[in-house]
Amino acid sequence: MTTVMSKSVSAPGKSIIEKLNVFTAVALGAISAIVVWRLSLAFLPQDADSALIFSREDKITLLSMCAWFVGFMTGIGALVGPFRWLMGKDLSHEENMFLAGKDMGPKRYFRYTTDHKVVGIQYLFITILIFFLGGTLAMLIRTNLGTPEGGWLHAQAYNSIVGTHGILMIVGTIIMVTGPFGNFIMPIMIGARDMAFPRLNALSFWLIVAAAIPLLWGQFIGGITTGWSAYNPLASQAPLGMDGYIMYICIFAISTMVAGANITTTVVKMRAKGMTWNRTPIFIYGTVASVALALPAFPVFFLSQVLSAFDRALGTSFYNTKLGGSGWLYENLFWLMGHPEVYVILIPSLAALMEMAPVFTRRPLFSFNVAIMGIAGISGLSVLVWAHHMYISGWAPLLNAPFMLTTELISIPTGMLFLVLIGTLWRGRLWMTMPLMSIFALLWNFMIGGITGIYLSDVPADGFLHGSMYVTAHFHYTLMGAGLTGALASLVYWFPKMTGRMFDKTLSWISFWMVQIGFNVAFVGMFMVGLAGQPRRVESYAPTFNTANMVTTAGAYIIMIGMLVLLYGVISSARSGVKAPKNPWQAKTLEWTVDYPIPLENFDVLPTVTSDPYGYGKAQS
Amino acid sequence: MTDLMTPQAPQWWKRPDVKKTAILWVICTAVIGYIGVEFHVRNIVSPASETMSSIISLIRIFTWAASPVAGLVAAICITVLTSKRHYGDNPPPEADHQIRTSTKATALWVSISGLLCLFALIGGLIVLQHDNEGVLDANAIQVKVTGQQWVWNFDYANGARSEDLYLPVNKPVVFHITSVDVKHSFWIVQMGVKMDANPGYVTELAVTPDKIGIFDVRCAELCGLLHAYMQTKVHVVSQADYDAWLSNHAAIEKGA
Repeated sequence: MTTVMSKSVSAPGKSIIEKLNVFTAVALGAISAIVVWRLSLAFLPQDADSALIFSREDKITLLSMCAWFVGFMTGIGALVGPFRWLMGKDLSHEENMFLAGKDMGPKRYFRYTTDHKVVGIQYLFITILIFFLGGTLAMLIRTNLGTPEGGWLHAQAYNSIVGTHGILMIVGTIIMVTGPFGNFIMPIMIGARDMAFPRLNALSFWLIVAAAIPLLWGQFIGGITTGWSAYNPLASQAPLGMDGYIMYICIFAISTMVAGANITTTVVKMRAKGMTWNRTPIFIYGTVASVALALPAFPVFFLSQVLSAFDRALGTSFYNTKLGGSGWLYENLFWLMGHPEVYVILIPSLAALMEMAPVFTRRPLFSFNVAIMGIAGISGLSVLVWAHHMYISGWAPLLNAPFMLTTELISIPTGMLFLVLIGTLWRGRLWMTMPLMSIFALLWNFMIGGITGIYLSDVPADGFLHGSMYVTAHFHYTLMGAGLTGALASLVYWFPKMTGRMFDKTLSWISFWMVQIGFNVAFVGMFMVGLAGQPRRVESYAPTFNTANMVTTAGAYIIMIGMLVLLYGVISSARSGVKAPKNPWQAKTLEWTVDYPIPLENFDVLPTVTSDPYGYGKAQS
Repeated sequence: MTDLMTPQAPQWWKRPDVKKTAILWVICTAVIGYIGVEFHVRNIVSPASETMSSIISLIRIFTWAASPVAGLVAAICITVLTSKRHYGDNPPPEADHQIRTSTKATALWVSISGLLCLFALIGGLIVLQHDNEGVLDANAIQVKVTGQQWVWNFDYANGARSEDLYLPVNKPVVFHITSVDVKHSFWIVQMGVKMDANPGYVTELAVTPDKIGIFDVRCAELCGLLHAYMQTKVHVVSQADYDAWLSNHAAIEKGA
């Protein structure tokens, strides 16, 4: 089943699914939004005098955004399958083949395509776009902080940029490994023809696109002025842009839940014959742990925002203390999601680097079982630590000690993952490539992120450090220094399989060193101002903090150049890079056994697995 | 870990890479511990309360406790990076062993990280216990702190009210903190204490200033448009000056 077949498959009477694509989706979404906006403007009753400000405008905004969402998803074709099924006639074989993107070339990237490889590339594209936007906002923040007295951004614009940067980067880092590589590589790695639920796979991607518009929309109606955590009651008095945030989170949460269920089922049910749990690559464990952790976390996030929308638009009082609610309820719901979520980001990156470590050291992965114990331990503990974000909130001071215990316990499974990585490097044959050096970079950055995490987990020290720039630097070291480093290594490592061409070596090195050096300069500066007492999320600061802030800003510009070099590398290597052999790294996982271009269902004959993929090294005699 | 050796090399500690790692371990531990401690101690604000001094000692102790682990990781990385590197487009020859696991190394590693974890926990609990007792001090001065967008107000027992905080030195204070609008966070920077101001609730925070001077109060929770400017000063003065200020200020307050 190759992609070069005659194009005359489509019957004369074109099926509805052949007419739908991203353009019809945007059109239908926009029309629905405008219609609902005009209707609600005309028919929604005026607020009572006792209502909160903006209540009617909130209703109108939220209704219009919901209409956009429904219109977009209808226009992309997400409802065709369920509707047909409801009418008692499922999609025909030709229609399913069309949905899979058979014989369609570049067009399939703009449709509701179910092929996991197409979805993987779509995810890669949107991840790059999100990082580009989030990175641009980061540069605006850092430029504004170049001078102590605020500078050229208005305070409200600055707060909104901080919030938007935060949520964009959180979403970007959540999807950066499980999106592109979890979708493109993972099914081939386990020897499957596709995901367990291909249509849900397409759904999870297009939901992210649908979610993007409310966030963008929110920027023009007041912005997200609350930071990404959107604490109530601040969020209930924030401008209408907050509704964009609420819709964005709700739709993104659905996407994450759908993707989580899909990836978990695929791995549990569709591994190749002979791929027992002991022979399943560690990257698969990382992906599953990440999305399985998102399954309990994101419904809570969804819920917290629905309640927030009710408070704003309908005058309920879930978070309003004056009417019997509590801001602490929001904090609890938010961090019940928020702490598992950081491991949703971190685990797949770590697992991807553990997958690469044996390949680039030419020896077996050290202590596969310990690696799994570490991943499982982190996942289990991560749902028990949320209130360490609330030590100084006054919510429950007596719970501080138990939460300090659970938080510090996480260092044990995290240490196990360190052991696996250094154990694998020990006495290996180093193949000096960007992915290999990323392992060292991760060890360095994650060590700093981890040790500063110990100070923050300590209740008295957190009394000083909480809410300061020190915290910001700490979580950038873990999510960016460790997480993003793993994702960039994955990009270079799997690039040949995804595009058929090698990633330009020189560009990968230049980008690697610029990003890593810039990163360490930037965030060491940020640790310094945090220790000196600069709070987070401020648009102006005392002049004594200026020098270290300038250091951070300079570092940020170095990162920016490094990331632009990487972006150039992606584009130029994909267009005109060196053609990649089938298995350029001589790795032993299944994705390297298929030719490029990878046929629609990956394997002509499904593979049988007889050993784990880590049989490197010379046998001792 | 040093005992990842092959079984046929009985004297594993005599291997050159093990020796090199051991020496590097000592050096890296010393360097990382020293730089880590100095980095924090030099950049952190100078303490104006016992709480802040104990936070600095905690950071110092935790850094030294963590440095052997960080030092070992660094030592292994340096050893590995300085031997058997291979450049080029084709893979290097296979490593000359197939070690997949080492129970001893794992057990040692996990027990050491467990002990360090326990150590950090106990260290934190001791200081925490001490801080918590402050709230119960019967001799403490009581000050009501009210946050609102975007100022702090301080109410004293005798009816005085101010926007700058005045405190006597070496006398315990208990703050009763609340907010009239959104969440704020009351942070006396140089005293190392912080507590959120929640609308509708009163939270408590205790501290004993031990240095005369002017220190910073900043809001540490994003509270809207002018969050960055929601800051004021705390004047720590002698008991006599404090009493004088307090009676004077209360009189002004009543007169106005």
